Amino acid sequence: MEVTRMSSTAGQTYLDQFPAEAKVIKAAFWSSFMALAIGGLLGLVQALHRTDVLRFIDSADYYTVLTAHGVLLAITFTIFFLVGIFTWAVTTSLDRGVVDIRFTWAWYIMMVVGTILVGVSILGGVVDAIPTNADVLFTFYAPLQAHPAFYVGLVLFVVGSWLAGADWFRTWWAWRKENPDERIPLPTFMALTTTLFWYLCTLGVALSILVFLLPWSLGIVDSVNPLLTRTLFWYFGHAVVYFWLMPAYMMWYIMLPKLSGGKLFSDPLARVVFVLFLLLSTPVGIHHQYLDPGIAEGYKFIAMTNTMFLLLPSLLTAFTVVASMEHGARQRGGTGYLGWLKALPWRDPVFTGMALAGLMFAAAGFSGMINAGMNINYLVHNTWWVVGHFHLTVGTAVALTFMAAAYWFIPQVTGKELWSRRLALGQVLVWFVGMTFMSNAMHRSGLFGMPRRTAEPQYQGFDFEPAVGTVGEINAQVALGAVLLTVALAMFLLNMVMTSFNDDSDSLPANTYAGTLSGPEDSPAVLDNLKLWTAIAVVLVIVGYTLPLASIVDSGGLFGPDIGGFQLAIETDPALVLESVREVMP
Amino acid sequence: MRISKGALLVVIAVLVPFVVEFRTALSWFGIELSILESLVLGGMAVLAVVLWAVWPPNGNAEAELSGSS
Repeated sequence: MEVTRMSSTAGQTYLDQFPAEAKVIKAAFWSSFMALAIGGLLGLVQALHRTDVLRFIDSADYYTVLTAHGVLLAITFTIFFLVGIFTWAVTTSLDRGVVDIRFTWAWYIMMVVGTILVGVSILGGVVDAIPTNADVLFTFYAPLQAHPAFYVGLVLFVVGSWLAGADWFRTWWAWRKENPDERIPLPTFMALTTTLFWYLCTLGVALSILVFLLPWSLGIVDSVNPLLTRTLFWYFGHAVVYFWLMPAYMMWYIMLPKLSGGKLFSDPLARVVFVLFLLLSTPVGIHHQYLDPGIAEGYKFIAMTNTMFLLLPSLLTAFTVVASMEHGARQRGGTGYLGWLKALPWRDPVFTGMALAGLMFAAAGFSGMINAGMNINYLVHNTWWVVGHFHLTVGTAVALTFMAAAYWFIPQVTGKELWSRRLALGQVLVWFVGMTFMSNAMHRSGLFGMPRRTAEPQYQGFDFEPAVGTVGEINAQVALGAVLLTVALAMFLLNMVMTSFNDDSDSLPANTYAGTLSGPEDSPAVLDNLKLWTAIAVVLVIVGYTLPLASIVDSGGLFGPDIGGFQLAIETDPALVLESVREVMP
Repeated sequence: MRISKGALLVVIAVLVPFVVEFRTALSWFGIELSILESLVLGGMAVLAVVLWAVWPPNGNAEAELSGSS
C-alpha cells in the first residue's frame, strides 16, 4: 500500500518546499484567472445579445466577442491553469524541484507572449486602432482567415506548452536516475501520459498552422484546402478536450479522496484510465465532422467506434472516484447505503466544487454520447445543444474543478489563508445552479434545431417549435444562467484578489495528496512503459487518419482547388440593408 | 439538524437540475407545467428538504454526524 508521499519537508506548504516553483505556478494561475475574467465577461455579453435581452454591441462584433470568449477560456484559461497543476504534481510527487527554473520561466513567458499576440489580434476586430482581424472563432480552420499574428501567437503558446512538457519529463528523468527501481508516482504518471497525447495531437494543429494557415495569411500561398485544415484542426480539437480534462481527473483522483477523509481506491485503475486516454484521445476527431461531405461514412464509423471506447475510462473514473469518496466518508463515520453521503465534508468549497463538477460531468457524458453517435448527431449537429454540452464539460467539469482547486492551491503557493471559505462555498453552488439553467436551455433549444454560432437566431417567417415551453422562456433561462455564472465568477475573483492581500499564515494544511488503498505494487509494471503506450497510440492514429487524409488530399489537393478564403470583417452596405428590408416588407 | 448547513445548501443546489429536468420529463407524459407551476413545485421541494433537515433527529448517530460534516 502506498502512503501519501511524505518527505523530510512533511507538514510544510508547497511554498515552503519549492519556493522558486511556487512563483511560476502562481504566475501561471494568475494568467489563467485573467483570461477567465475577460473571457467570462464576454460570455455574458454574448448570452444577453443572442437571447435579445440586452444588445449593446453590433451583431457583426458578436463574432469577435465569440472568438475571444472561446480562445481565452478554452485555450488560455485552461492551459495556463493546468501547466501550474502539472508542475505542482510533478515536483510534489517526485519530491524534487524542476531541473532548471530558468527553463520553467522561459516556457511560461513564451506562453504569455503567445497569449498577448492572439488576444491583441482578436481585439483588432473591435478596436479600429489595431490593424488586425481574427474573427475565426475558437475553431480556427479555413476558409475563415485570421491575421498572421493570431497564428504566430498560437504557435508560441503551443510551443510553450510543449516546453512545459519537456520540463516535466526532464524532472522525471533526473528523479529516475536517483530512483531507478521505483514506480512512477501516480501524479507524475498522470502528467506525463497527458503530455504525451498532447504532443501527438498538437502535431496536427502545428501542421495546419505552419504549412497551410500561416503561409496563406501571409500571402505566401494563394489557396488552402478547407477540409484538410478542418480535419487537422479536429485531429487536435477533440484531444484538447482531454488535455483540459485530465488535470481535473487528476484532482478527482488525488485530491477528492484526501478531502473526503480517505484514500484512492485503486492506483492501478487510475493508471489504466490515463493509459486509455493516451491511446484513444486522438484518433477520434472525425466524430466532429459527421456532416462533412468530403469524408467517407466508413471513416466516420471508425471514429465513432473509437469514441465510444472512450466512455470506458470515464466510467472507470466514476467508479474509482465515488468508491474513494465512500471510503473516506466511512472513515469519517458515515454508514448505510446512501447515509455515508452525509458524512462528506460539504462545507469545504474545495471538496464540494469538485464533487459537483464531477456530478455535472456525468450529465455531460450522456449528452456526449448523443454527439458521438453518427445517426443521432445529425439531429443536434451545429445546434445550441453542442454549446450546452461543452459548457458542462469544459465550462463545469473543468472550470469548476479548477476554481475549487484554486481555493486549495492559491494558499499553497502564496502562504496566505483563503480570504473567505463561505464565499467560496457559495461561489461553487451559484456556478452549479447557473450552469444548470444555461446548459439545460441550450440542450433543449438544440433539440428543435436552434443554431449555434449566430448573433441573431431570430428569423422572419419562421418559428422554432420547442417541445416544452417557449423560445422566450428558453432565452430567459439562458440569460438567467449567464448572469448567475457571471456573479459566481465575480465571487471567485474577489476571493482570489482578497486572498492575495491576506497576511501570511502558519496554519495552512501541508502539501500532500491522497494515499492509496491499492498501490502501484498491485499493478503490472508494463503500465509504466510509456514508450510502449506511445507507440500504440501512434499506430492507432495512423490507422484512424491515414486513409481519410489521403482521400481528402486526393480529392481536394494539398492546397485546395483555388480556395482564397475570406476575413470575417462585416461591413454594412446601406443599399444591402434597404434591399433586405424590402424583402421582408414588400 | 439532520445535516450540516453546508450540506443543506448543496442539497438545495442539486435540487435545481432535478426540478428543471422534471419539467421536461413530464412533458413526455403530456403534462406541461408553466414556469409559475414549476417554481411552486420547486419551492415545495426546497421547503420539504429544509423541513426534513431542521426536524429534530431521533437521537441516533446521524445527529452526531451532522455536526462533523
